[in-house]
Amino acid sequence: MRLSRIRIEQFKKFRQPIEIKDLEPGLNLFTGPNEAGKSTIVSAIRAAFLERHRSGSVDDLRPWGDTSASPTVELEFAIGDTHYRLLKSFLGKRRCELQIGTQRLDSAEAEDHLAELLGFRYAGRGASGSEHWGIPGLLWIQQGAGHDIRDSVTHAMDHLRTALNASLGEIASSGGDSVLATVEAARNELLTPSAGKPRGAYAEAIDQEAALANAIRELDSEIAAYRQKVDTLAALRREHAADEAEKPWIGFREQERAAAEKLEAIGRVEETLATEKLRATQVDERIRLLHGQLETFGRQEKELETREAERESIRQRLEGATALVEEWQSKRAEAEQRHEAARETLRLARQADTRLSLTRELDAGRLKLKNAAEALARAETEQAALVELKRQAAVTEIKLKDLELLRDQHRQIRETRIRLAAAATRLRFAIEDGRSIGIGAESVTGKGERLLLETTTLTLPGLGQLEIAPGGSDLSQLRAEAKELADRHETLLQRLGLPSLEAAEVRHQTHTRQLAEIKTAEATLKALAPQGIEPLRTELAIQQARVEEIEQALSQLPPNTPHAAAFPSVAEAEAAEEAARQSLARINDSLHQAQLAAGKEQTAFETATRELAAARAVIDDPQRPERVAAANRDLVDARAEQSTLAARIEALTRQLAEARPDILKQDIERFRLSAEQLEKRFNERRDQLMSLQVELQTTGAQGLEERRAELARDHAQIQRRVEELHRRAAALDLLLKLLRDKRRALTQRLQAPLQKHLNRYLQLLFPGASLDIDENLSPRSLTRNGSSGTELGDFEDLSFGAREQMGIISRLAYAGLLREAGRPTLLILDDTLVHSDEERLAQMKRVLFDAATRHQILLFTCHPAKWRDLGVGARSLEAIRAEA
Amino acid sequence: MIKLLHTADWQIGKLFGQFEPDDGALLAEARFKAVERLASLATENRVDLMLVAGDVFDAQGVADKTIHRLFHSMAGFEGPWILLPGNHDAALAESVWTRAVRLKAIPANVTVCLQPEPVLLESIGVAVLPAPLTQRHTYTDLTEWFASAETSDDMLRIGLAHGSVQGILAEDIDSPNPIAAGRAEQARLDYLALGDWHGTKQVDPRTWYSGTPETDRFRSNESGRALLVELSEPRAVPMVTPVATGQYRWHSEALALRVPSDVELALQKISAFGPADVVQLELSGQTDLDGYRRLCAAIEQARGKARSLLADLSALRLEPTAEDIDALKADGYLGEVIAELRASQDGADAEVAREALALLAGILDAQHAKAGGSL
Repeated sequence: MRLSRIRIEQFKKFRQPIEIKDLEPGLNLFTGPNEAGKSTIVSAIRAAFLERHRSGSVDDLRPWGDTSASPTVELEFAIGDTHYRLLKSFLGKRRCELQIGTQRLDSAEAEDHLAELLGFRYAGRGASGSEHWGIPGLLWIQQGAGHDIRDSVTHAMDHLRTALNASLGEIASSGGDSVLATVEAARNELLTPSAGKPRGAYAEAIDQEAALANAIRELDSEIAAYRQKVDTLAALRREHAADEAEKPWIGFREQERAAAEKLEAIGRVEETLATEKLRATQVDERIRLLHGQLETFGRQEKELETREAERESIRQRLEGATALVEEWQSKRAEAEQRHEAARETLRLARQADTRLSLTRELDAGRLKLKNAAEALARAETEQAALVELKRQAAVTEIKLKDLELLRDQHRQIRETRIRLAAAATRLRFAIEDGRSIGIGAESVTGKGERLLLETTTLTLPGLGQLEIAPGGSDLSQLRAEAKELADRHETLLQRLGLPSLEAAEVRHQTHTRQLAEIKTAEATLKALAPQGIEPLRTELAIQQARVEEIEQALSQLPPNTPHAAAFPSVAEAEAAEEAARQSLARINDSLHQAQLAAGKEQTAFETATRELAAARAVIDDPQRPERVAAANRDLVDARAEQSTLAARIEALTRQLAEARPDILKQDIERFRLSAEQLEKRFNERRDQLMSLQVELQTTGAQGLEERRAELARDHAQIQRRVEELHRRAAALDLLLKLLRDKRRALTQRLQAPLQKHLNRYLQLLFPGASLDIDENLSPRSLTRNGSSGTELGDFEDLSFGAREQMGIISRLAYAGLLREAGRPTLLILDDTLVHSDEERLAQMKRVLFDAATRHQILLFTCHPAKWRDLGVGARSLEAIRAEA
Repeated sequence: MIKLLHTADWQIGKLFGQFEPDDGALLAEARFKAVERLASLATENRVDLMLVAGDVFDAQGVADKTIHRLFHSMAGFEGPWILLPGNHDAALAESVWTRAVRLKAIPANVTVCLQPEPVLLESIGVAVLPAPLTQRHTYTDLTEWFASAETSDDMLRIGLAHGSVQGILAEDIDSPNPIAAGRAEQARLDYLALGDWHGTKQVDPRTWYSGTPETDRFRSNESGRALLVELSEPRAVPMVTPVATGQYRWHSEALALRVPSDVELALQKISAFGPADVVQLELSGQTDLDGYRRLCAAIEQARGKARSLLADLSALRLEPTAEDIDALKADGYLGEVIAELRASQDGADAEVAREALALLAGILDAQHAKAGGSL
């Protein structure tokens, strides 16, 4: 099929007519930016073929907002040598005309002819959908749909199949697919479709089989238990019968009795032994008591002797002590006398000493008194002088500040005078003798000089008066200053009571000298009375009192004895008195000690005497000798009995040890327990037998084994069924697999022509790769040589770009197939391959160029630069519009 | 002269799971019927004594109902019955026999030998020496005591035992429940009635296995009988006559199909089975689809006719002929599938392949039939 002219009017983007002429039989590249109308052209071609001109569902074909438009498409194309012209208007003026060579078809007839020719269907109602599009749907790739091929292939399936069969000229199998469906259905009744696990009746049978097997196992264990119990019953019965015949516990009871009798005899021996042992203990005790008694007698005699000796020794000690007391008493009398004498000597010595010291003190006191009186007198004189000096100084005192002020004023006055003199008008006169003039109020004669400080009137007698006014502005100020200074000076002098500065200076010098004198006087006074006059007076009074006190003390002393000088010194006398006193004290102590010792000895002696009397009283008891003799007798008897008893006890103990009553007791217990155990076991077994018998009767009535046989029967049957189903399932599974395999192999053979076309293009894109086609003729998987060997990838898992490339390659292959089957092929690619990289796009261009040698291809793009090397001139939509 | 009927191995309570439920039930029922027939046979022949040499019951744990039913089945003969416990129904401390006693199911004319002691039947001058099994398995010869048992000289000495006579079959060496060969002679027995083997067998002139009165397995020759024994006087050689008692004949047929005519023979055989036949059929060899279809059809028919039919076709190989495949119209890939399945019958999964092939043929037949095809 070859499209040669397209004319579009009032169609979507194109309100004005647009015409594309001279389309190439091969590649046609249309470029234009977005919104330029590329898709409108595609849409127009699609509508012209795929939509009924009477369709009311094609409002979207109108230009936007133009409700009265009649979208019109006019196409011219050739199929083989036949020329076609199709004119189709929608909505407003609905029209369809198809000119085929010289033949002309209208309306539905024309449309049906086209559908048959191109291989598509019309929608029954509404707008045409992808399911109607058939071959155009596959070959006219819409924007962004290049990768999505499966549905398009499905919708074109019949045409593709026909094309394939036509090329192969062979029928696959008349009833194959229906057989396959039957087998699959039958197989899937028994097995799950994918995992092949048992299901339905098969699974049920397996479950039943397992349940029955389980029930049988359970019943088997019940039966085994039952059989075990039957065996137990038999064993118990045998044992029971044996015991019943034998009664073994009777023998044990006999043995028990014999042992008990033996034990009883031994018990009697034990009793005798105990009695003898008790008696022996009593005899031992008696012997011990008698020994004690005899010892007491011996002790009493010994004590009497001891007491006598002790009393004698105490008596001797008492005598010694008494003698010592007397000796110490005489020594004390002597010591007392010596002490008295020493004390008298001391008293006299002290008296003499006091007198001497008082006399000395009085002399010293009197001297001090005289000195104090003198010091006071001197100080008082000096004090008076100082007062006078101070009084004079107070008179002559001038303050240094005042003096300095005076000096300063004086100096200023002088300076002012000098300045006045300098500034004043100097009036020198030399008046002839005899004559005078008045200067001011003054009358002057002779020669002289006056300084005129103010306007002065010179009276020249006889002549009149001259008024001289000294020049200079500050003269009057100076004069005022001078006057003021003089006033101040005068005032100060007056306040000070002085005539002049010189007098002030004199007074100042006088005052300075007086101050020095005062200082000297004060220093003198300080030396005489450092604390002032008053302490001196106090000292004098104190000394006075002391002298009087000493004089009174002296007067109170007894009159002096002539031999006073014979007395020893006080220290000596004191030492002698102290020695005598200590000696007396020591002697007193010794005496006291001796008296205490004598007292103690006296008490001891009295006690010893009393004790001796008591001891003697015991010994002297008249019944005592008889008691001693009896005790000795009893002891001999008891010893004899003791030895007899010991012999008997030993004999009995030996007898007992040989009989072993403990073991005998154990024997009795053992025999008793054995008999009891046996009897108990016998009784228990009887009970056990009864209960077991009842249990077995009950269980036996259940007919366990018959039930098991029933279950085994059912199990065998279900097992058979499982086997049958298993066989059937396996056979069906195998059959299904084989059918599918063979069918697939056949499909592959059938698809070989398609594969051939596919390979042609695929090799250009991926050398050495192969694209596998599934039963529905859609690409299934891509096998190619990758970096890590051969890679197998599911079509759906490929990247978007790769899927789009594969999609286009597949479509080109379908086109090849269809073309060989004599179907018209036109390929439209609306903005495809935008997701391809440079390299792939370059390969795809080779593919397209190759395909274009067999098919007409309309390629629309908004990226003209990318397609520049396609080998055809691009037609810009803007240019086409401009032409129109 | 004394006439007695010797039987054994009734196996009452046995069930047959290998068959279809209905068939199995009838076969179980047949065991009671056999006892009824034995009773009427005894009455008809006016026998003096009925001896049952063990395995009366198939198991100890049969239902009470079964016990009652058995003794009712014996009502047809009013003379004395001597029953011996066998290995299936040994006289254990608690056994089917003690239960039967408790259930009061045992009629007065029935004696169960629970102890190894002579049963004296004074009226007919017979001393029965029984060797009951008192344990499930015995490895000693329980008939030892027969020799030492003293009986009056004018009485017939008849042994009753259950087990394997030693030295007759190699596989019976060391088998449980042994019975010494020549016991009848050694113990001065006039007749030794044995049970345990399900086929009738004479061991020596005085020693016989009666076999089971109703066959219960395929591998049992000469079963389904009882023995009518006539003893004219002590020490005389007994006259033993086997009597058929079984209702069903159990066949095990292995048919090898090698040439097309074998199929015809097999078809004849199969069609010959009647209501008394219990059949186990094993087909091997090979056949074409047509032969296979006919065999299958014949087997289906025989199932309806015979009491029970078990058919095993697993060893049979399907060899579709060119005509077969044409008839199936298995063109295209179906033809390839058939060829492959046919070849697979040599492989490991031969049976699955055959089954699959048969299935496929069946599906194709059905489709053609639906489409109005010629087949």
